[in-house]
Amino acid sequence: MAAIEPMEQFLVRKVVDLPPIPVPGLGSLDMSITNSVMFMLIAAALISTFFFAAARRQVVPGRLQAVAEMLYNLVDSALTGGIIGDRGRPFLPFVFTLFLLIATLNLIGLAPGGFTVTSQLAVTATLAVLTFGTVLVVGFVRNGLGFFKLFWPSGVHPAMAAFLMVIELISFSVRPLTLAMRLFGNMLGGHVVTYMFASFVIGLGLFGLEGAGLAKLGLLGSAVSFMMIVALMALEFVVAFLQAFVFAALTCVYLNEVVNLDHGH
Amino acid sequence: MADPATAAAAAADAAEKGGSGGLPQFDVSQWPGQMVWATIIFVVLYLLFSRVFVPAVASTIDAREDKISGDIGDAKRARDKAKAELDAAAGELAAARARAQKVALDAQSDAKAAAAARQAQEEAKLAETLAAAEARIATARAEAMGHVRAIAVETAQAMIARLTGAEADVAEVERALGAAAS
Repeated sequence: MAAIEPMEQFLVRKVVDLPPIPVPGLGSLDMSITNSVMFMLIAAALISTFFFAAARRQVVPGRLQAVAEMLYNLVDSALTGGIIGDRGRPFLPFVFTLFLLIATLNLIGLAPGGFTVTSQLAVTATLAVLTFGTVLVVGFVRNGLGFFKLFWPSGVHPAMAAFLMVIELISFSVRPLTLAMRLFGNMLGGHVVTYMFASFVIGLGLFGLEGAGLAKLGLLGSAVSFMMIVALMALEFVVAFLQAFVFAALTCVYLNEVVNLDHGH
Repeated sequence: MADPATAAAAAADAAEKGGSGGLPQFDVSQWPGQMVWATIIFVVLYLLFSRVFVPAVASTIDAREDKISGDIGDAKRARDKAKAELDAAAGELAAARARAQKVALDAQSDAKAAAAARQAQEEAKLAETLAAAEARIATARAEAMGHVRAIAVETAQAMIARLTGAEADVAEVERALGAAAS
């Protein structure tokens, strides 16, 4: 019987070996195509192909175009329009890209043989840092040094406000960490739990088949575990979509704070 | 496994050993490549979306909304025009009806006036005839009355002649009759 290795599915392996690129002062950068990178490229190719096929300019949309427009309207009305408001339109491409990329990577991870790129902390951290950096850049470009008003609570005694500012600063700076960890944790947990139940199906099933007497209960355990996997997979599909939506929604919430800083929240 | 050296070793023979003992995600040696690739892929996708896909989808949706609102506007204008024409037709109908009514009323009053005039004419003619007849009757009566005197005179003469056997003088009788009548 094979060893139960729930973390083996997250191992990054090289698929195409490329020579390392020397980076002055930092050593060398290994840009080899790993399974993680390969599935990112697959996701990007799927998204681009879909939109090249779907972004037709027909007044009466076909099926693909209707799906593309539905996704666009979802992001436009619920995320950038709903959270940021009238000033949200310029950020729609950013939020749209983020949402679609994360959702696609999550769903590819659920496909048999698919590698879950969003369970790689390096990738979720990169996306979180990109988001955080965008918020910072937008904040300073739109408000200049008025950006720091974001941390200054109004209507409080200055001494108290200074104390609260420290807390606000800390809560602001851990945002990339929470963004990265939330997505990473959800994907990791779901896949590990599914793997464990899958190993129960095999392990308890073999135990029940080989044993006699009470050991036959192993077959029952195997069947229950299998039903659990079915239920978990349904849940994982919801989580895959939901976590992408949550990531995009939080991006909008953070952007909203700096975009609408001048006229209240 | 947090130790990079061990992690690198584990990654090297990953296929055999698997990731037991720790999370492969914390193998920091795998981070730079994934992070750079993730950034490149995200930026490329972002550029595609901001330059190509989002403008295409947005302009299509806007064009459709414009077309729909334009069509609705056209339909509204057509409806308004039809309504105006209907109103004009109804107005014309009402005017025609009023005119017809007026013509009928005029005709009626004309006929009435003509009838009244004719009646008055007839009445005048009748009155004239009546008056002529009355006058004729009056003259006839007067004439008859004149004859009555003469008859009375003759009768008186005849009676006198029968009673007395003498011829009465006409002048005498006349006088006597005048005395009796007055």
